[in-house]
Amino acid sequence: MAYQQVTDALDPSWAQAYTRVEGEQKAKMRAALESLLRARKLDVTLTSAPGALAPPPERLAPTGTPGLDAALGGGLRRGHLSEVAGPVSSGATTMAVAAMTAAADRGEAVALVDTSDTFDPASAAASGFDLARLLWVRDTGDAHRALKAFSLILQAGGFGLVVLDLADVAAAALRRYPYTTWMRVARIVEGTDTAALLVVRERLARSAGGVTITVDAPAARWHGEAHRARVFQGVLAAPRVIGGRR
Amino acid sequence: MIPSYDDLTPGIADVLDSESVSRLALFLRDDLPRPDNTSASAHEAAAAVVRCSAKSALYACLRIAIQAEPAATECQPAACDPPPVPGASPSDRLLGIARDFSPRVMRLSDAEVLLDVSGLGRLIGEPPAIAAALTRAIADAGLTHAARVALAPTQTAARLMATQLPGCTISRFPDLPVALLQPLETLPPAINHRDRARPYETFARWGIATLGALAALPAAELSSRLGRRGIALQRLARGFDLRPFVPDPETPRYIGGLELEWPLDTLEPLSFVLARVLEPLSVALERAGRGAAAIRLSLRLTTRETHARVLQLPAPIRDPRVLRTLLLLDLESHPPSAAVDIVSIELDPAPARVTQFSLLTRAVPSPEMLSTLTARLSALVGESRIGSAVLRDTHQPGAFTMRQFMPETPMPELSLKDAADRSTLRRQRHPPAIRVSVERGRPAHLAAARRGMPCGPVTQAAGPWRSSGGWWASSGAGGQGLSHGAAAEADAVPRRGEDGWNRDEWDVALGSGAVCRIFQDRTTGRWFLEGMYD
Repeated sequence: MAYQQVTDALDPSWAQAYTRVEGEQKAKMRAALESLLRARKLDVTLTSAPGALAPPPERLAPTGTPGLDAALGGGLRRGHLSEVAGPVSSGATTMAVAAMTAAADRGEAVALVDTSDTFDPASAAASGFDLARLLWVRDTGDAHRALKAFSLILQAGGFGLVVLDLADVAAAALRRYPYTTWMRVARIVEGTDTAALLVVRERLARSAGGVTITVDAPAARWHGEAHRARVFQGVLAAPRVIGGRR
Repeated sequence: MIPSYDDLTPGIADVLDSESVSRLALFLRDDLPRPDNTSASAHEAAAAVVRCSAKSALYACLRIAIQAEPAATECQPAACDPPPVPGASPSDRLLGIARDFSPRVMRLSDAEVLLDVSGLGRLIGEPPAIAAALTRAIADAGLTHAARVALAPTQTAARLMATQLPGCTISRFPDLPVALLQPLETLPPAINHRDRARPYETFARWGIATLGALAALPAAELSSRLGRRGIALQRLARGFDLRPFVPDPETPRYIGGLELEWPLDTLEPLSFVLARVLEPLSVALERAGRGAAAIRLSLRLTTRETHARVLQLPAPIRDPRVLRTLLLLDLESHPPSAAVDIVSIELDPAPARVTQFSLLTRAVPSPEMLSTLTARLSALVGESRIGSAVLRDTHQPGAFTMRQFMPETPMPELSLKDAADRSTLRRQRHPPAIRVSVERGRPAHLAAARRGMPCGPVTQAAGPWRSSGGWWASSGAGGQGLSHGAAAEADAVPRRGEDGWNRDEWDVALGSGAVCRIFQDRTTGRWFLEGMYD
């Protein structure tokens, strides 16, 4: 901001041109970095170590959303902690339920730690979720007990997907946890066949191999123009994947 | 290894060869070597033995008079009589004696037990010695009143002899009345008493009164007049067995206990005691190929009270560490009120699980692990908050029940009314009240009652959808019935009865982008937030 004020004082037209060029260069650098990220060659570029191989399909847990699975390289990584972050009505919960549905369809056991007791079995079953395969830990009361229950389930093992829903927990309460807490959680799930997933409103934590799926501004789908004929059809989720290190 | 039926019962009359027929016929005619009739008069028990070859089968029938037992307890017992075992009925004691002698025991009634003693010759000796040993065991158990022991090569002969002891010798066997065969018959339960007695009336008209007379009748003529039942009765009269010997499965009890030298008031030292009690029980279960379907823990406290807990397991488990962990977690949730003096554990046995794994499917959590995990989570958040959701067959919004998590168990199929591709609803279990401004019959603005709840102008609205039900059960009191254990808040939905609801639902989008479902209770006109789409 200070640099902008100085250039404006010298020559406004020159300053605008300089700002435009600088912006173009930043955009090019950003595009190059993103292309490297997409090609998964960033590790090779930044270090001398050879890049890790892509995980085999059995180490991935598809989310049931084809577009998201393509962006994730096949699905959520097993043995890692991932997160879905998005504001209210962004589709984050729908995405998590879709991942649980896909896991249940594969015959895996699924666990959900529902901190605020907001999971709706009816709407999940309407999307085809086999509720018999869901271990639902509901209304844990606070994030501390929810985190403890999450850890117990991860330590027990045998689950294909374990979801911790912290979406209704205040961000200030979550920020009080040191990052080492989430590192311990990532350490528990490391090397197992379980994919751990957090549902949060803001980005919170993920393991090194996990991914962060951010869902931006909500876009509701409505059908029908007239008031009396209008029907809510759902939320158009626009996920963006911030990949982990491979 | 348990010998097969054929190994132990050669010559039994279910296979009618000429040798066995002639042998049993000789037996009935008293052409066998003279029977050794042993009478244990000292203990008022009687025994009879029919001598037979070493290779033939040998059955013993133990018979007592159940009705005489209370009278015996009223009398002063003799000085030499041992005190009866407390807590065990005479029939249980009789069964225990039989199991002490042979693993192949068949309980015929409370007063009659049949056991296969074919292999006891090497251990005890000749059949008279076996009968004497059985008589002594019955006397030692305090079942001396009218106890009878009879040994014979067939079940039928042993049972008939036992009914006529004492005073019955093998020479009198053909003179026994035909009516004795009635309890030995196996007839359908639905048959009436007249049909039951009909062959015996026929025998009486024919002048056939004894077993010997019935056995001597020509089989073809008897069959033509009385049918298959007549033949069966004649075979019984000849001493044949109509059915093979089918031993009862042994049902041992797995009980362990420990009396402590000093009381324990914490769980940590108690865990070592539980491990010490559980390990031999688990070994016994493993030897029997069984697992524990339930654990019954009984803790005798220093206050003379008993702290009892029963844990039902989702699958048979015999790992002592898992069982100990489950007991400890349960005791954490339900601790005893005082220090523990005596620990007693009983495991309910069940057939062990047979699991067929597959390389093509992903493994699900094992029952042992699930039991432990559920117990840990129950101790953390409460038993009612863990499990699988089961949708109720109703149109009531948000209705469900919880059940135990068993991933392999299929759910009941329900036809869902809302199977469209919609977003997931984050439902408020206790819908909070909100303030809604209505313009031209539609929600125009939401005002939240507390911080953190969605509010703002309504940009889109779809509805209303009227929903009502449960009015037939309305009683003016009760909960909303959203889920079990749901306690309504002060500002929550007004109660209309046990399961009654009547409301107009709306899907509304707010200026902030949030999409929520709200509803207006039609009985009070108040608005509530049901949930947020996410």
